[in-house]
Amino acid sequence: MMAYNSLLYLFIFLPVVLLAYQLAPQSFRYKVLLIASYVFFLSFSGKLLAYLLFSTLSIHHMGLWLASCKKDYMPAAYAPEDKKAKKAAYDSKRRRILWLGIGLQLSILLILKYSGFFFENFNLALKAISFPRLLPSMKFALPIGISFYTLQAISYLIDVYYEKIEADDNLGRLALYLSFFPTLLEGPICRYSQTAKALCQGKPLEYKNLTYGLQRIMWGLFKKLVIADRLNLLVETIFDTANHYGGIIVIAGAVLYTFQLYADFSGCIDMTIGTGEMFGIAIPENFRQPFFSKTASEFWRRWHITLGAWLKDYIFYPISLTKFVKNLGKKSRAKLGKHLGQIISSSAALFGVWILNGLWHGTGWNYIFFGMYYFVLILLGNLLEPVIQRMVNALRISRTSALYRSFQTVKLLVIVFTGELFFRANSLTAGMNMFQSIFTGFHWSAVTDGSLLKLGLSLPDFIAVFLGFIAVYTVGLIHEQGISIRDRISGWNMFARWSFLYAAILLIIVLGAYGDGYLPAKLIYAGF
Amino acid sequence: MEQLLEILNDINPSIDYETETRLIDGGLLDSFSILSLIPELEDAFGIEITPMDMVPANFNSAKAMWDMIHRLKEE
Repeated sequence: MMAYNSLLYLFIFLPVVLLAYQLAPQSFRYKVLLIASYVFFLSFSGKLLAYLLFSTLSIHHMGLWLASCKKDYMPAAYAPEDKKAKKAAYDSKRRRILWLGIGLQLSILLILKYSGFFFENFNLALKAISFPRLLPSMKFALPIGISFYTLQAISYLIDVYYEKIEADDNLGRLALYLSFFPTLLEGPICRYSQTAKALCQGKPLEYKNLTYGLQRIMWGLFKKLVIADRLNLLVETIFDTANHYGGIIVIAGAVLYTFQLYADFSGCIDMTIGTGEMFGIAIPENFRQPFFSKTASEFWRRWHITLGAWLKDYIFYPISLTKFVKNLGKKSRAKLGKHLGQIISSSAALFGVWILNGLWHGTGWNYIFFGMYYFVLILLGNLLEPVIQRMVNALRISRTSALYRSFQTVKLLVIVFTGELFFRANSLTAGMNMFQSIFTGFHWSAVTDGSLLKLGLSLPDFIAVFLGFIAVYTVGLIHEQGISIRDRISGWNMFARWSFLYAAILLIIVLGAYGDGYLPAKLIYAGF
Repeated sequence: MEQLLEILNDINPSIDYETETRLIDGGLLDSFSILSLIPELEDAFGIEITPMDMVPANFNSAKAMWDMIHRLKEE
């Protein structure tokens, strides 16, 4: 196994692939990437590669099948009286192919990822009614990246169906689109139109791409080693022995886990995007300074952007545009007015988005709660917007004033930290108990009696994390102003550039958490 | 076009729809605004907007929406 932060990946796998890629003839370069991706996959999941191969072959076939339907459908050649029937038959056939394709992808994911959860809860229900026999428990090994590549495969089929893209007859290109090694572990969830063409162009390596990519990888490593890995011991201590703690310690657990998750996931995405850049391939961004958001919905447009965009394009809009929801909207707007009518009709789509968002992350009830938590908050936000606007007008508060914005930031942080508490909790019950213990076990003395230093992290650890946090915050602030730090650095003279690079490497070595006494965090999102 | 601008101003009057070309990409109209817009457009122009039409390019400017409306009317 070679995670992106492992020495094997950084010092052997990646350099070897870069070298092989550059030495290969241009038309063969995408095959080098494909072979590398399958080697990478095999290192994690071995023979489970069969699932990936099945997904690849099936979407290749379904895409071509959809395309062949289009070729066979020639409206100009039909008699006017036949046109309607032919069109209906054409639409129906294409719809059946699409659903078959989606069904195949989803059924693998559902069986492998969710059957254990289903049987466990079904058995609990049987036990509750004292049923004499229980179902056998089932647990399947999950191929790495299945939650990510399945969504990519579905998006490809839907985009072909809606004719947003042409069906690809090049099996190798589709295989690489689904399995490109930097995106396998934690995404981002790429669209075919975003990466497939670039993956197969076989651009030669360029100095600028290599240095930009390397800088981005180092930034990801900094976040991962200095913040995520250093915080891991503390987060595991608090969440795995949650009944020992309450009050401020649990708040600290929720806050620090949120920062750990952000540093871990966004750090991994930095390494992914950086690796892509080295090959001249633009992988879509997955984060845009989420903690600078003002509302929960804005937060989700800036955090795990590609999942949010996928759910918006393939769940939210399709549900919203069904005849049923449109009619519901019309009726409720007529009866309850524009605003309420809109809320009612959009709530069905919003529910679909958030239940799937929760379930996508995992199979515990805490993930379902996590999804429903945001569903309710976003629905309430939309529902109360006119009331808030009236209040703000009556109190003559400017929504752009620093005070109001600070209030929004604090409110959002409380929302996010609370959500992540349930997300990380070992179960929904554990999450509920932890949340309750914030109030029942609250003592200010936890700040002064050194309790925080008895959770696995020493004062120097906290200082290193704090410095890492300041660095991440400062970079976020600069990016928020639309400034590209790497463009600025590339304008410096060679001495300054290399000094900066060496200083950055030194910082990672000095502040990073590794070696004895540390418990490095597994790439968190790779588990989803 | 007048009618379209009227509908858009009703959704969010603080945007200059005649010049703005990044309504979606710039985050000026979110998915809820778009959902409010769709039934208005469908009723006003007698068209049906499907998931196929839900691409930023169709909603980034008033002109893009106008072009989409014309295309859907012809279909």
